[in-house]
Amino acid sequence: MELGDRTVGFLLLAFSLSLFSYYTFWVVITPFVDSDHFIHLYFPDREFAVIIPVVAGVILLSFVSIFIGVVLLRAKRPKAKTA
Amino acid sequence: MKQVFKFFGVVGTLVALWIALLLSTELSPAVRLVVPYLPVYALVALGCYGLGMVGYGLMVFPTCPEEAVLLQKDIDEAKAFLKQKGVYVATQ
Repeated sequence: MELGDRTVGFLLLAFSLSLFSYYTFWVVITPFVDSDHFIHLYFPDREFAVIIPVVAGVILLSFVSIFIGVVLLRAKRPKAKTA
Repeated sequence: MKQVFKFFGVVGTLVALWIALLLSTELSPAVRLVVPYLPVYALVALGCYGLGMVGYGLMVFPTCPEEAVLLQKDIDEAKAFLKQKGVYVATQ
């Protein structure tokens, strides 16, 4: 299925906005709410607010490094054959 | 070079502010819970901003299909003209 660039852009924008608002609620606003309020059911433990972004960043960085390494290796191979 | 100094000035000020918040004692317990998370929160906010700007740029990226059709017509016209004058034109 071919998704238009506009649809992809809209989905990216909506995803980033919803992620930002959820994270803001989770990290900044829930400490001000009473601990027995029902809203705490919708948010995981607060330590995951650090663990998940760090793990995601590490995975992203490793994928970028793997991609760069693969591109460099592929660029080198034909040159080595001709030399 | 000046941009680098400006960048490190802003980052250093933010870090100093954060350390001051960490060390200050007259904060309510709820604010005390928020303060240690601020660097990760800034990182997530920056990532969301970048992703959102990419999405917005994709959304409003201008395309002009009519112009593409007109350009293709111009190319065909020029090719026909050149061929008529005996110029070799590569065709795919």
